[in-house]
Amino acid sequence: MTAFLIASLVLVAALAFGTTDPLGNPRFGFNLDNIAAMADPAYRVVLLRSLGYAVLTCAICLVVAYPVAYAIALHGGRFKNLLIAAIVVPFFANYLVRMYGWSVVLSDDGPLLKALRSAGLADETTKILQTGGGVIAGLVYGFIVFMIIPLYAALERMDTSLIEAGRDLYGGPLRTFFFVTLPATRQGAAAGCVLVLLPAMGDFVSAQLMGGPDQIMIGNLIQDKFFQGQNWPLGSALTMLMMAVLFVGMIGYLRRARKDEAEAVR
Amino acid sequence: MSRRSLLRTGAAAALGLTAAGCGFTTADPVASKSPDEPIKVRPDGDLVYFNWADFVDPAVFAGFEKEYGVKVIQSNFDSMEGMVAKLNAGNRYDIIFPTAKWAQRLAAGNRLRKIDHTRLRHAESVFGRYDYFADPWYDKDSAHTVPFTMYKTGIGWRKDKIGDDLTGSWDDLWNNRARGKVFVLDDRDEVLGMAALKLGLDIATENENDLARITDTLHSLRPRLRGFSSDSYNNLLNGNAAMTQAWSGDMAAMLGQAKDPSVFGFETAKEGAPVNSDCYAIPVNAPHPGTAMLFIDYMLRPENVKKNIEYIGYPMPVGGSEDTYAAIVEPFPECLVQATDLKDDLYFRNGTSKGEQARDTAWTHVKAG
Repeated sequence: MTAFLIASLVLVAALAFGTTDPLGNPRFGFNLDNIAAMADPAYRVVLLRSLGYAVLTCAICLVVAYPVAYAIALHGGRFKNLLIAAIVVPFFANYLVRMYGWSVVLSDDGPLLKALRSAGLADETTKILQTGGGVIAGLVYGFIVFMIIPLYAALERMDTSLIEAGRDLYGGPLRTFFFVTLPATRQGAAAGCVLVLLPAMGDFVSAQLMGGPDQIMIGNLIQDKFFQGQNWPLGSALTMLMMAVLFVGMIGYLRRARKDEAEAVR
Repeated sequence: MSRRSLLRTGAAAALGLTAAGCGFTTADPVASKSPDEPIKVRPDGDLVYFNWADFVDPAVFAGFEKEYGVKVIQSNFDSMEGMVAKLNAGNRYDIIFPTAKWAQRLAAGNRLRKIDHTRLRHAESVFGRYDYFADPWYDKDSAHTVPFTMYKTGIGWRKDKIGDDLTGSWDDLWNNRARGKVFVLDDRDEVLGMAALKLGLDIATENENDLARITDTLHSLRPRLRGFSSDSYNNLLNGNAAMTQAWSGDMAAMLGQAKDPSVFGFETAKEGAPVNSDCYAIPVNAPHPGTAMLFIDYMLRPENVKKNIEYIGYPMPVGGSEDTYAAIVEPFPECLVQATDLKDDLYFRNGTSKGEQARDTAWTHVKAG
């Protein structure tokens, strides 16, 4: 399995130095044109926008997912598995179809804006789709399950006597949460952040269905290279660039995880 | 969402997993037969069919299976690039449906079998009536292809939102009444081509100065633009778009879904409407080319042409089918593809590698802003 993953990665990396033949087929080679093409400021703007959206998505997922995971893990009782299933099962449906359904709900003549208008909370000019908020809403909806599950696992594993100890030491609920529960589950939170950040950064569906001309993400440009320009080599080069950016985040996570493990052993 | 746009959106992930790994492995294109060897028109096995999803009426498949005692084994592609990647990877299909531009590429790469039209009983209804297709630019003498559908690009709009006094020009997309509610197709050639026509330039220009002018023109559209989307009819139906660049076939399909079709309009621009067509083609490594020939002939029978036109909403260049399509698009007569539209010849053609890259860069600048 690992061999397949590495082989496909090597192929993508090698193709980044390739060319396109007159029939539009990609060919391996040793030229730096695609690397040079990435210096175009348009890519920098879109890459930074994608990173910003992904980080914001991560933060929102963390804030929304934590209470959900907390409630299920510590107060779910015999319904724990059922509640987790209720969260996970909808995610078995095809991501594209779910996002498309979401875009219909949020459309200008869709049920949400109609309800808001009739309640006087929105007017004819209010829109959700084709805004940055719409894209981030799509990303949060698409990937929040990847935050809930590791947080739930961390909270499940946590020694709850620590919370009781915190209270015995006169810590209020908030103080106990911030100084006991949160640090004890930080590995789960970090794992959730990585699991959300990686797909959110490369996503193209949310920006395509929920975004407008100013919300294009790097995933959309890569998709275009493969499907419209038939410029697979440049698409591969952009993929490697995106992976390099994400790799920095991964290294940070791995170092932190190793440090935590070393502390736990001690 | 139109079938094509839904598939296109979902295509990249699938490509990442499958086609990307094998798109550059060159299959032996002459592994089975010479491209020029005449195909015997007879059932020689089940039909391995490769097309956009839902582009043939299921009743037509059922009739073909029953009449010839074969099965139709269907698979679908999500983009032309995806289709060619599968072919390049060595997958074997009996019948495929490339657009004109891709038919030219495949024929030039010796990937297609020759189709002897004299062996098709119903070919005369195509080539006799639509002489454009007797010797189209993409395939000399239609030696490797038979046309399947044809369509144009225009502007669809909501009369209830912005009125019906448009000018019949691509300038209408810059209409201030539709400000913030204009969509253009998420398609490089269509968008660059639209701006080229507005500026009076070659629709498929590769010239750097032309492309710079096109990019500037499209930047001027940006304040009015709500998005790039090929989901034209849903954008109109759900109110996200007051106006959108749209394919005629999608507009025809919308007529069947709209509660009140009278609030919608469709026009083609006086500066020119791009035209395109999909073709039937038989790959060189097709395992059952005889069945594929029978299938093309079966599809060209008048009753099957009628069923398919009613099912997919695209006109077909088959003599005698014109009234069927005209009845479907009666509110949008500009969906009709006339002989004059074909003669205008505003097809997107294949460019040079350098030219394609220049257009690709221009498209990136248009999309990234």
